[in-house]
Amino acid sequence: MTRDHSAPVAVSVTPRWQRDFPYQQASEEEVTRREFARYLVLGAGAMATANVGLAVWTQLRSINAGEPRPIVAVADVAVGDPYLFRYPGDSDPAILVRLGSNDVVAFSQKCTHLGCVVYFEPSEERWHCPCHEGNFEARTGAVISGPPTRPLGRIDVEVRDDGQIWALGRST
Amino acid sequence: MSNSARSRQSSSAVVLYVVILVAFQVFLITVAVEAYMTDAEPLAWATAIISVVVFAAAATFLRFLRP
Repeated sequence: MTRDHSAPVAVSVTPRWQRDFPYQQASEEEVTRREFARYLVLGAGAMATANVGLAVWTQLRSINAGEPRPIVAVADVAVGDPYLFRYPGDSDPAILVRLGSNDVVAFSQKCTHLGCVVYFEPSEERWHCPCHEGNFEARTGAVISGPPTRPLGRIDVEVRDDGQIWALGRST
Repeated sequence: MSNSARSRQSSSAVVLYVVILVAFQVFLITVAVEAYMTDAEPLAWATAIISVVVFAAAATFLRFLRP
């Protein structure tokens, strides 16, 4: 019997260590480069969907400007003191300060930088965010210093004849 | 360089581009969350549009990947 030397000779490519210690696992299925890329693209699609969802959520959430409602009796807030409340929704922290006898200003308590809560500093007459040292002007909420670039969300308030401070709606 | 080696290298480049785009998507997610936390609607919408464009680009790159 003669051997055909032109035919390719099959050579085993199994490494020696695998011949000495053979094992098989179901999880050893090969993932091709194309499948790997497809998984990545699917992940990118999921993240794009999440981004669109976040944008819609952000838009819908800020539509709620709030309905007029009483907050607190003006007599219960001393001049120069702040008062914490929720407006327009129960999950929206807000803060007002009585600057004069009938002079009241109110803002969303969320810092426009990264959403930390701001506090009133009577000695400096400013709103202060302790997270990143952001400061806002007490009466207008405009940025004085720090990383925020937008003013605090203003809540229109008025002192009515019944002695109550009313929130009329959120401006920004 | 043989056609096979060149094709293999171009496939690796395509996968690398897709990996870079996915990393950029992760960054865009952080920007979107920040926009949500600060009620920055224009930033949130801009991020969403860019994210969709990046996804379309990644899907386009996938078409150039050899089977």
